[in-house]
Amino acid sequence: MSDQATTRPDDRKYLKSHEWMKIDGDTALIGITDHAVDELCSGNEGDLVYCDLPEVGRLVEAGQTFGEIESVKAVADLNCPVDGEVVEVNAEIEDHLEILSRDPWNEGWMIRVRITGSIDESEMMDAAGYNAFVAE
Amino acid sequence: MTRPFRLLPLESRTPAQNLAVDDALLVRGGDVPVLRLYTWEPAALSLGYFQKLEDVPAAHMPGLEVVRRFTGGGAIHHAHELTFSIAAPASDPLYRGPVADSYCRVHALLEGALAEFGVASALRCDQALASDRTGTGMCFHGSTAQDLVWTGTDGERRKGVGSAQRRSGGRVLHHGSIKLAPDPLEPGAATVGGGSAVEDGGAGTARPIAAAEFASRLVAAFERGLDTRLEPSELTEREREHVLDLGDFFADPRFLADRRYRPEASDGGTSPAS
Repeated sequence: MSDQATTRPDDRKYLKSHEWMKIDGDTALIGITDHAVDELCSGNEGDLVYCDLPEVGRLVEAGQTFGEIESVKAVADLNCPVDGEVVEVNAEIEDHLEILSRDPWNEGWMIRVRITGSIDESEMMDAAGYNAFVAE
Repeated sequence: MTRPFRLLPLESRTPAQNLAVDDALLVRGGDVPVLRLYTWEPAALSLGYFQKLEDVPAAHMPGLEVVRRFTGGGAIHHAHELTFSIAAPASDPLYRGPVADSYCRVHALLEGALAEFGVASALRCDQALASDRTGTGMCFHGSTAQDLVWTGTDGERRKGVGSAQRRSGGRVLHHGSIKLAPDPLEPGAATVGGGSAVEDGGAGTARPIAAAEFASRLVAAFERGLDTRLEPSELTEREREHVLDLGDFFADPRFLADRRYRPEASDGGTSPAS
């Protein structure tokens, strides 16, 4: 388990596909976890080579992909936890993928979505639940 | 008890159909992992998902068919080679955990097959390769620590297996390309046939290895390594429908020009696999 396991923020929800979602008013901030980054690049932050994020204004749906990330050996989908409209994108990430290794929780946020539907949290976990999930 | 594992025996399809079948195995495949073996008719060049056409000079060779894969990495010329794909849930023992570990497991299976042809292959680890070069965009000219390499008669270590993965919807598809004979578009790559690397196209240096010959050894190596029997099968109805739906999408000039292109009927997902 990552050293960051003990510091995974408990102010957000986690998906089994290793994205996190932090509710902020009527918007949700979305990113990927330290575990997702570790699995893609095994500690070599230079192994992350591309990240495609959506444009502002795009409509997204819970369970659908909102972008893609590539390490030197795998392309992985980025999965959206809520229905809504992308209102902000962290463009810094596309040029500075090392941010995801350094700080996936704050600097490494990917998109902000204005939530338009109800949120189904039945498949989401809190930090403790996610810690247990990745330790399985 | 041995675990179930499907085998889609060696077949040849058009470039776009080959990728459509793999997409079907990724998106519509079931819980049972599947190994698929295939060749390309006609020979073609596949771009890695994130590659730009202009960054791959070989893709502009007159008469050469080009497709875009949904897996990452560099371009591959699918000639003189055997391609395989393995689709399974991400929770499968082959794919659990870090991507790098999954490569090591897949390549351990390949090592067994290569050994039967006198090829002593190993992971690249930290050492650069004689096959590494810049500016071509070709998969065999770039390498990572998990790539499978072997030493040629010239004593130089070179890459002999091209690999890439797609992880989508809780599933994984691993692509592999094993060079059986020298390819002028991928000079410097290691080949099974010669057991050695060649810079000059390899005329006269390699023993021809048929894809079928390598495929049968590969199946045997998988069965030994996984301690199971691969069950020959066909595409399921769901998988066949997906292949039909995709048609020649992977060769669509709009998709070749822009990986974000999706047909209007698409559900708006960002992955060809979605």
